[in-house]
Amino acid sequence: MKILDYFRRVSTWPPETVRTFLKENREDEYNLVDVRTPKEYEEGHLPGARLIPVGELPDRLAELDPAKPTIVY
Amino acid sequence: MRSRAAAATLESAGFKQVYSLEGGIRAWKGLVAEKTPESGIAYFSPATKPEEMVALAWFLENGSRRFYAEVSRRLNEPDISDLYAELASAEERHQATLLDLYREFGGTPPNDGFPKSIISVENEDDVMEGGMRVSEALQWVQGKSTAAVLGLSLALETNSYDLYLTMERRLQDQPSSRVFRDLSGEEKQHLERLSSLLEERT
Repeated sequence: MKILDYFRRVSTWPPETVRTFLKENREDEYNLVDVRTPKEYEEGHLPGARLIPVGELPDRLAELDPAKPTIVY
Repeated sequence: MRSRAAAATLESAGFKQVYSLEGGIRAWKGLVAEKTPESGIAYFSPATKPEEMVALAWFLENGSRRFYAEVSRRLNEPDISDLYAELASAEERHQATLLDLYREFGGTPPNDGFPKSIISVENEDDVMEGGMRVSEALQWVQGKSTAAVLGLSLALETNSYDLYLTMERRLQDQPSSRVFRDLSGEEKQHLERLSSLLEERT
């Protein structure tokens, strides 16, 4: 097996897809996660986004529902 | 970059539909998104055999070590440069730990070909955590702000932390899982240091 066979692509959505998705779904139907620093978050974030800095994410997974679609930025 | 590492973490934890916002907050605001060195790849780990996991981890640590050592040489800020030198030697220690573990699994000392004898790395010895190419990442950091370099490193360390947590979970009933717990603990400390430095600089 080759090294890159151990990896899989992450799916990405362009801003327009995210905008449409947020418009068409209720807030309790998805997870929207801002993984930047608290300072970056305070300077401006997407409406309804929850702040979980990337370094804390592996330990804070329980705060998110794995069954819901999750958008991260 | 950080969001892709986050998406990878969520996927390996079993989240069903995960999407990273393309171009991040800049693209959302309608600004031109910065080009990043990520190959759009996340850790997936269909590796089944423990020795395969160990070889993969060793290989990725090797790439990260090269990346950190080179970044340390290039940085002008002494305290940050020192941190990167420390990160490089931590990765070197991790490689030694992984080699010991491999001996435990295999019962024999790894031959000169390790990890090539376990996983095929032909023409691919340029890969580090997150499936990122070391050469691409080094090219990218040229002329970048310290904050940008820290952001990239934070993404790498998140992938690495996640990799060891995954291994620990898979080997939960075996004594070797403690090795991965120690490794993930160290990566977590790196994450905390990088996070607070980035927080200072954003």
